[in-house]
Amino acid sequence: MIYLVATAQRSDLQAVRESSPEIWRQVRRYNLPVQLALAAADDVIQFSEDPSTTAVISLAPCQPGSADLYRWGHVVTAGMATGTLGNLRMNPTQTLHAVDNLALSAFAISHGNHAYCLGLGGAPGQAWCGLEAVHERLSAGAEEDVLLMAGDQDAAEDGAPGLGVALLFSVRAKSYQPLGRIVRLLSISRNNTRTADVVPHAANGLAAFLPALVEQRQGPMSYVVPPEHTDGLSGVTISLEIL
Amino acid sequence: MKRRVVISGMGALSALGATTDELWTGLLANRSGVRRVQRLVESGITVTNGGEVASVSPQNVDRDHEIANRAIEDALVQSRRDAAECGFIWSTGLDTFQMGPNGFVHRSAGLCFSNLSSRFSGPRRMIAAACASGTQAIGEAFRLIQNGRVDACVAGGSSVMLTPFYLIGFAGLQAVAVDNGGDPSTACRPFDKRRKGFALADGAGAMVLETLDGARKRGATVFAEVIGFGMSQDGFDLNRPCDDGAGAELCMRRALTDANLSPEEIDAVNAHATATYSGDLAEAAALRKVFANRWPEVPVSGAKGAIGHAMAAAGVLEAIIAAHTCATGIVPPTVNLQHVDEGCELDHVIGEPRDSNAQSVLSVSFGMGGQNAAIIIKRHKEAQEIQK
Repeated sequence: MIYLVATAQRSDLQAVRESSPEIWRQVRRYNLPVQLALAAADDVIQFSEDPSTTAVISLAPCQPGSADLYRWGHVVTAGMATGTLGNLRMNPTQTLHAVDNLALSAFAISHGNHAYCLGLGGAPGQAWCGLEAVHERLSAGAEEDVLLMAGDQDAAEDGAPGLGVALLFSVRAKSYQPLGRIVRLLSISRNNTRTADVVPHAANGLAAFLPALVEQRQGPMSYVVPPEHTDGLSGVTISLEIL
Repeated sequence: MKRRVVISGMGALSALGATTDELWTGLLANRSGVRRVQRLVESGITVTNGGEVASVSPQNVDRDHEIANRAIEDALVQSRRDAAECGFIWSTGLDTFQMGPNGFVHRSAGLCFSNLSSRFSGPRRMIAAACASGTQAIGEAFRLIQNGRVDACVAGGSSVMLTPFYLIGFAGLQAVAVDNGGDPSTACRPFDKRRKGFALADGAGAMVLETLDGARKRGATVFAEVIGFGMSQDGFDLNRPCDDGAGAELCMRRALTDANLSPEEIDAVNAHATATYSGDLAEAAALRKVFANRWPEVPVSGAKGAIGHAMAAAGVLEAIIAAHTCATGIVPPTVNLQHVDEGCELDHVIGEPRDSNAQSVLSVSFGMGGQNAAIIIKRHKEAQEIQK
C-alpha cells in the first residue's frame, strides 16, 4: 500500500525568508526554482520517519538557470565576438545554477541523506514519471518513504513567478492533513493521447493535482492530468482512494 | 520473479571516433582523443583542450540532437529493435549554450529530450544526475525491464559541453585542466601525481537493454548481461566528495547486494576517474574499502584520459567499455596514468591492456553534487565474441 502523507507548495520567497530563516540561509545562493523546491520539501520532510533514509525524486526545472546566468551567457557571446573571453571569470554559483540536479544535492546535504535518489530532467511531463517512480519504489518495498519535489519558474528573468511543490509518500498509513483522511495512491496509467498544447513546467502539474484531491470526498478518485501538463505524447490518469 | 536483462545493441560517439569499435580499439591502443580545439583557442579562453566528436560539425546548432541520435540509431540497428517497441531512459545533460550563425543560441536539454523521445513507446524518462546520469539511465532501464514494466529500453546519455560557457564555468570550479601549453592529449591524467582535472568532452552513448528471453526469441546478439544497480547520495558538499568516499562506497555495495554478488566475485572496475584531486582520492579510498584485502588484485581502468569527461554520456560510454571487457576479458589501460599518486593506490592497468579474463565488471559514476551510481555487467555465455 502507498499513502500520500503530506504536501506543500511555496511561491513566495519573501515568506520563506521571514518564516523560515534557517531554510533561507541554506537556499539563498541558489536560483528561484531550487529555492522554492527546497522550501516546499522542508515543509513535508518532517512527516517522514527518517529524512536521512527517505528516497528522493527531484524534478529539474523546465526553465532552469537564473537571470544572472543568462546575462552571463550574453557576456560570453560578446566576449567571443571581441576575443576577450580570456579575461572572464564565472561565479561558481552560476555554474551550479546550470546543473540540473542542484535541488537534489542541496536537499541531501541539508538532511544528511544517503538514500536512493532519482533526478528527472526538465522535459515536459516528467512529474508523472516521478510519480510512477514513487509507485515503483514503494511497491517494490525498496523504501518506506519517498519524497517527490519540483521547482520551476515561468521564465529565467528577474521577477518572474516561481513555484515549488513537494509530496511525501509512505508505506505507512497516515492521515493526509488537508483532508483529515487517509489517501491511498493506487496507480498511474497512461494512454496514447497526443497533444500539441503542452506548457513545460516541472511544478505546475503537481500543483494543479493537489486542489482536486482536497475537493474529493471519501471513495475512489481518478484524476485525469490536463493535457497541457503531460509530455504531449501520452495521457495520464492517477487513481487514488480516500479512506 | 525478476527477469534477466541483457545488452543487445550499443552505439557510441566519442573523442576516439564515431563507433563503439573505434572507442574500444583506441583504448586498447592506449590512445587519447583529447586535443586542442582551434575554435576555443581563437576565443581566447584558458581551457582549450577537449574531447571533441569530430564527425558532427561544431557549427551545427542541432549538434546536441545529432550526436545523441546517431548513437541511438547505431544501438537500435545493432539490436534490430524498433524505437516504437522500446522505452527511453536518457539524459541530455545540461542546456547547451553555443554560437549559431545569428549569435548566441540557448538550447534546452528538456527540449532536446522531448525531440529524441517522441518516437519511443515509453516509459520516457529524462535522467538528471549530472555526471552519474548515464550510469543511472542504464540502471533505471535495467530495473524497469527486470520488474516487467517494459520489455526493452534504449538507455544512455549525450552531452555537448565544449563551449566557452561550460569551459569557463568548470574552470571556475577548478575541475578542468587548463591549457599549460603542453601536449593536449595528456591534459587528463586520472589517478596520476600530475593530475589537474578533467578535459571536458562532447559525446553520446546508447545501449539497447532487453529481457534475455526476448533477445533469445528474436535471435538477437547478446553482448553482456546487466546484473546489478545501486544509487546513493553523498549528502556532503556540492562540489567535492567526502574524503573517505563513503557515498561512492555505499552505491557500490548496493549494486553488489542487488546483483547478489560478493566483492570477491568482481573481476575488474571501470572507474569514474575524473583526474580531479579530491575525486580520485575519494574513489580510490572507496574501492579499497569495498574490496578490502583483495584490492591489489582487482584491475581498475578509467576512460577519461582517452575521451575526456562527456558528463551525461560518460557513464554509458564507460559501461560500453565495461561490456567489451566482459565479452573479451581484456581490461584497457587508463590512458595518461604513469605515476600513481599517493592515496590513489589500486591495481591500475597502465600502459597496455591486460588480458585478465574479467567476466564481471563494476562500472561507477559519481555526479557533481553527490549522486553516485554503480552497475554490474557480466559476461553472458551466449554473448557474441567481440574481437580482441
